[in-house]
Amino acid sequence: MAETTGATGAAGTGAAEARSEPGEARAQARAAGRHPAPAQRGPARAGLRFLLRRPRVLVALAGWSVLEAAHTFALGFALARALDDGFLAGRPALGLAWLSAAACGLLVGAWGTARVYRQVAALTEPLRDELVRRVVGRGLYDAVAAVGVPGDAGQDASGTGAVSRLTHQVEIARDSFAGLVMVSRSFVFTLAGAVLGLFALAPLLLVVVVPPLAAGLAVFAGTLRALARRQRDFLVADEELARELGTAVRALRDVTACGAQAAVRGSVERRVTAERRAADALARWGVARALALGLGGRLPVVLLLVLAPWLLRHGVSAGALAGALTYLTQALLPALQSLVHGLGGAGARLAVVIGRLREGAPRECAATAPMTPPLPLPRETTASGQGGPGVPALELRGVTFAYGPAAAPVLSGLDLTVPADGRLAVVGPSGAGKSTLALLAAGLLRPSAGEIRLYGAPVVPEQRPDPRGMAGRRVLIPQESYVFTGTVRENLCCDTAPPDSALPDSALLGAFEAVGAGALLRRLGGLEAVVDPVALSAGERQQLAFARAYLSPAPLAVLDEAGSRLDPAAEELAESAFARRGGALVVIAHRISSALRADRVLVLDGPRTRCGTHAELLECSPLYRDLVAGWAPPSRV
Amino acid sequence: MTHASGAPGRGPAPAQEHHPVSGQPAAVPGQRAGADQADADRLLLAEGRAQLWRTAALFLSATAAAGAGLMLPAALGRTLDLLLADDGTGGAPAGRWLAVCAVLTCALVVLDAADTVLTGTLNSRTTARLRSRLVGRLLAVGPLRADRFSGGDLVTRCTGNAAHAGTGPSSVASVLAAVVTPVGALVALALLDLRLAAVFLAGTPLLVLLLRAFSRTSADCVTRYQETQARLAGRLVEALAGARTIAAAGIRERERARVLEPLAELSAHGERMWHVQGRATAQAAVLVPLLQIAVVAVGGLLLSEGELSVGGLVAAARYAVLAAGVGTLVGQLNALVRSRTAARRLAEVLAVSPMATGRRTVPYHPGNTGAGRLELRGVRASYGGETVLRGVDLVVPGGATVAVVGRSGAGKSLLAAVAGRLVEPEAGRVLLEGTDLAELDPAALRQAIGFAFERPVLFGTTVGDALAAGLPAGPEGWRRHQECVRAAAGAACADEFVRTLPHGYDTPRAQAPLSGGEVQRLGLARAFAQSRRVLILDDATSSLDTVTELKVTQALMGTRNAEGPNAGERVSLAARTRLVVAHRAATAARADLTAWLDGGRVRAVAPHRQLWEQPEYRALFGGGSGEDG
Repeated sequence: MAETTGATGAAGTGAAEARSEPGEARAQARAAGRHPAPAQRGPARAGLRFLLRRPRVLVALAGWSVLEAAHTFALGFALARALDDGFLAGRPALGLAWLSAAACGLLVGAWGTARVYRQVAALTEPLRDELVRRVVGRGLYDAVAAVGVPGDAGQDASGTGAVSRLTHQVEIARDSFAGLVMVSRSFVFTLAGAVLGLFALAPLLLVVVVPPLAAGLAVFAGTLRALARRQRDFLVADEELARELGTAVRALRDVTACGAQAAVRGSVERRVTAERRAADALARWGVARALALGLGGRLPVVLLLVLAPWLLRHGVSAGALAGALTYLTQALLPALQSLVHGLGGAGARLAVVIGRLREGAPRECAATAPMTPPLPLPRETTASGQGGPGVPALELRGVTFAYGPAAAPVLSGLDLTVPADGRLAVVGPSGAGKSTLALLAAGLLRPSAGEIRLYGAPVVPEQRPDPRGMAGRRVLIPQESYVFTGTVRENLCCDTAPPDSALPDSALLGAFEAVGAGALLRRLGGLEAVVDPVALSAGERQQLAFARAYLSPAPLAVLDEAGSRLDPAAEELAESAFARRGGALVVIAHRISSALRADRVLVLDGPRTRCGTHAELLECSPLYRDLVAGWAPPSRV
Repeated sequence: MTHASGAPGRGPAPAQEHHPVSGQPAAVPGQRAGADQADADRLLLAEGRAQLWRTAALFLSATAAAGAGLMLPAALGRTLDLLLADDGTGGAPAGRWLAVCAVLTCALVVLDAADTVLTGTLNSRTTARLRSRLVGRLLAVGPLRADRFSGGDLVTRCTGNAAHAGTGPSSVASVLAAVVTPVGALVALALLDLRLAAVFLAGTPLLVLLLRAFSRTSADCVTRYQETQARLAGRLVEALAGARTIAAAGIRERERARVLEPLAELSAHGERMWHVQGRATAQAAVLVPLLQIAVVAVGGLLLSEGELSVGGLVAAARYAVLAAGVGTLVGQLNALVRSRTAARRLAEVLAVSPMATGRRTVPYHPGNTGAGRLELRGVRASYGGETVLRGVDLVVPGGATVAVVGRSGAGKSLLAAVAGRLVEPEAGRVLLEGTDLAELDPAALRQAIGFAFERPVLFGTTVGDALAAGLPAGPEGWRRHQECVRAAAGAACADEFVRTLPHGYDTPRAQAPLSGGEVQRLGLARAFAQSRRVLILDDATSSLDTVTELKVTQALMGTRNAEGPNAGERVSLAARTRLVVAHRAATAARADLTAWLDGGRVRAVAPHRQLWEQPEYRALFGGGSGEDG
């Protein structure tokens, strides 16, 4: 695509607003619900605010640009003087001296150019930093808000999207913002230098040059909005095409198997045609650009010649005319050219990308909004959070959960009590709501109806660290264990309650031994060794997650298929560590053997959900009987 | 585990050792190593020819614009001289030259506009045509031949590469015009005075040297910037994968800070990039003006000796700039090179030949259950350049269930793919009811044979559309086949959870929260809805828990009616021929026959029970245990 034009105005450089707006309504960490996109502030105003917050950089930028303007000024002025006082006056040495002066101006101008880049860096790098912060914040916010989504569909989508935003879109924003600053700045200062030069040569020259230039700029400004719209349409069509192609390519095998080639090809072709139409519209609007350039950049040259006799009569010298022509063809025309070509394309790209990056930006809610009333922890709760003997660890009363108002519930009217020293296993077919139950118990999902209490206090979803809150009362090990690039110690301590209270090494080592991961720790090379998550097997990552959760002071542990990738013996070892630790234990069972170790078992099976001991369930739950039989060694082939 | 006691009317066949017919060695179709530059150029040439008048018009307008641009400085200089000499008395020659200037200027504006529109529309049309061809070919070659390109790579070829290749015809048209300008300007300088051209040429080595300094834009600070950026992205990906742990521990803000730790370093590398670029730009920025000043200085000396006019000097100054504008030419040449490189990447995809198709329909043999007899004769197929199936002979009797077992890497999935013509065999034939699949009409083929995979990829706007993907499409989407889709979903134990989605079957696919097991069940439902004669299941129940797998298998074997609201709408899956790739002994045990794939051939076809007596066969399922729960 040739360079294309369009932008939301010179000031519409739409930079991201640095700080997130506080005090916006809090988005609920709903299961599949998307938080609504916040009202878009004008990107132009945000960009202006971003610039105005950096007055020193702006001043320095202007200062160094003046050197460039001086160079522009020198170019025409020195030529005029060299002609009038030097070469035409029979003093070639003076002419050469003036030209040397122009060359010096050139070098000074180049020095200014190099310095200008530093100031541009001082503007764009902070912008990039803000955008990166925003993307990371939003990525984590979305991921945390989407934890209720079962499986990995939701997380996959947000993961690739966030990385694309971080590496691709932020860079586009950075480049186009820098381009906008450079192009508009360069135009302004070239214009200033040339106008000043023309004025110095002969003020009358301005009468000839300024009106057509102003007309050209007016044409450009007038069509800028329309051009920006075409440019945006084009970028959007391009993105949609890429998305459609991505789906088609990913599903190629399945498309072939379904014989759906014609349908898929049709829908891709529609996107291809839409993209071509958008590109054509954009190209046709390029005529406006050519017109603006002709009017503002080329017409003054002809006008200058047409009016030359009149100018000469009014005392304008031959050198001044030559100088004026130099200003027009060497300075103004190129500057105008890069303005009309650069401003449109970069501006629209920036506006589109910033719009993408801004939509659905995270609200800094938990820190400011009065999300929940202060937690009324039961009086008898001790420092470790252990309830009194009568208070159950986990209590569900008539809990119902559905992914949407129109959706059939996953859990319906569930009652459940886990005593403070209880050990519950949850079994059931996939999709029966086992993980949903774990997330509800951990307070990461809010039930559609009913009540959940942890140690007598109602469960509330929360977003921020609060040692006295949920994190102090329960610890959850989800299916996918979290291990990041960092030392073993960092990995272990990342979710133990207060960030500053370091646990003694002996406790950390003890945790590894307790969950049966001592060998892993030795293999890794101790607490200070750096962990590479990719180099660990899924089972080893689970062992690390076990050790981390083991260190949590929370009295209730919820293990959601946390040992699924360990062999049965290692899984039993890790589970029993939590049983020995004291407190209550809820195990979402991956293997039926977990159920055999528990003192009560919950069989999730829609309306046939049952809770009881192993023996009771063998009596009353046909599904449980099936499950136990299914896992038993086969008696026949 | 209950056993399905064979499909109705099909007794277990005796074990028989197979002696495969060796297929004739045939040239491997569609496996050309790649495309060379000649193919790429032919591709661009064909596209240019398809847009001939536009390309020609662009060439003419660009050349005319270059010519007008070259003539203008001379005309300006001449006019200036006449005006200066005229001294205000108003002469006709000055007026004529002024008119020439005006006409040239107008022509430049018009040609500039024409150039913009022609370039834009030519590029957009060429790109769109290339994309259409590419997508059409991609969909026709089938998944195996497309497999040599990664998914992201293919998307890049269809988007970015096609856009670059699409600029080919316009670059060719413009590059000639781009040659005209600097060459013409140098000639014009020489015409004004040879010494002017000499000064310019003497200064050019300096230009080359400095341009080289420019290209030394310290690539290593860019690399370090990208590395830091990748580190940051890596941290983010890790944290996103651990979202549940982060949410449960309430440590989102702390993790945010941890992910952002490399940001300061990124910023520092970024600043360094700007500094380097600033220096390089400044160097380049002095170059052309210095050359121009040198030319003007020589011109001035000539002027003072009366060998050059003021207008000549002004023209010389302009020609010096135009002659130094090799940058435009280099830019156009770069675009052309980029376009040819991109076209080569497109030609590589287009060099893959599509799978053959025919026009025949699947015959119905009366007295049959309506299922199809599937027969593989001397089938050879390779994967990743390695011949995996050497000569497979296999008969799947109509309405029977045949399990395919074998060590991992034995080619079970490839066999399944060949049997349903997802992959064209390199040698041998695959027959359905006696008709070669290659001769079947594509629509007839797909309505006859359905596939379910271990990891199905769903496509379509809504979940319902994804399930109806194998049925003839219509404007009303999946609702056209509502009953069939719901019944199939019921048979695959998917109806229940689909109804728990936010909008049930109308839930947008991208927003449906689905686990691996659920996607697998939707894939099964899609195949159930699609196939009329043959079902091919490639490990399609691996992610299902034991209970669900049992229910699905029962539906598949016809021992269970579909559940759900349309339970009356019975899906008689039992009336289909089934080919099942099995990893678990239980799956093989439920089939009528088991085909044991070994060394690229079918080693035996017999009921599982019979084969189980061989220790080697038992070893396939892991040390003789019948179930690997």
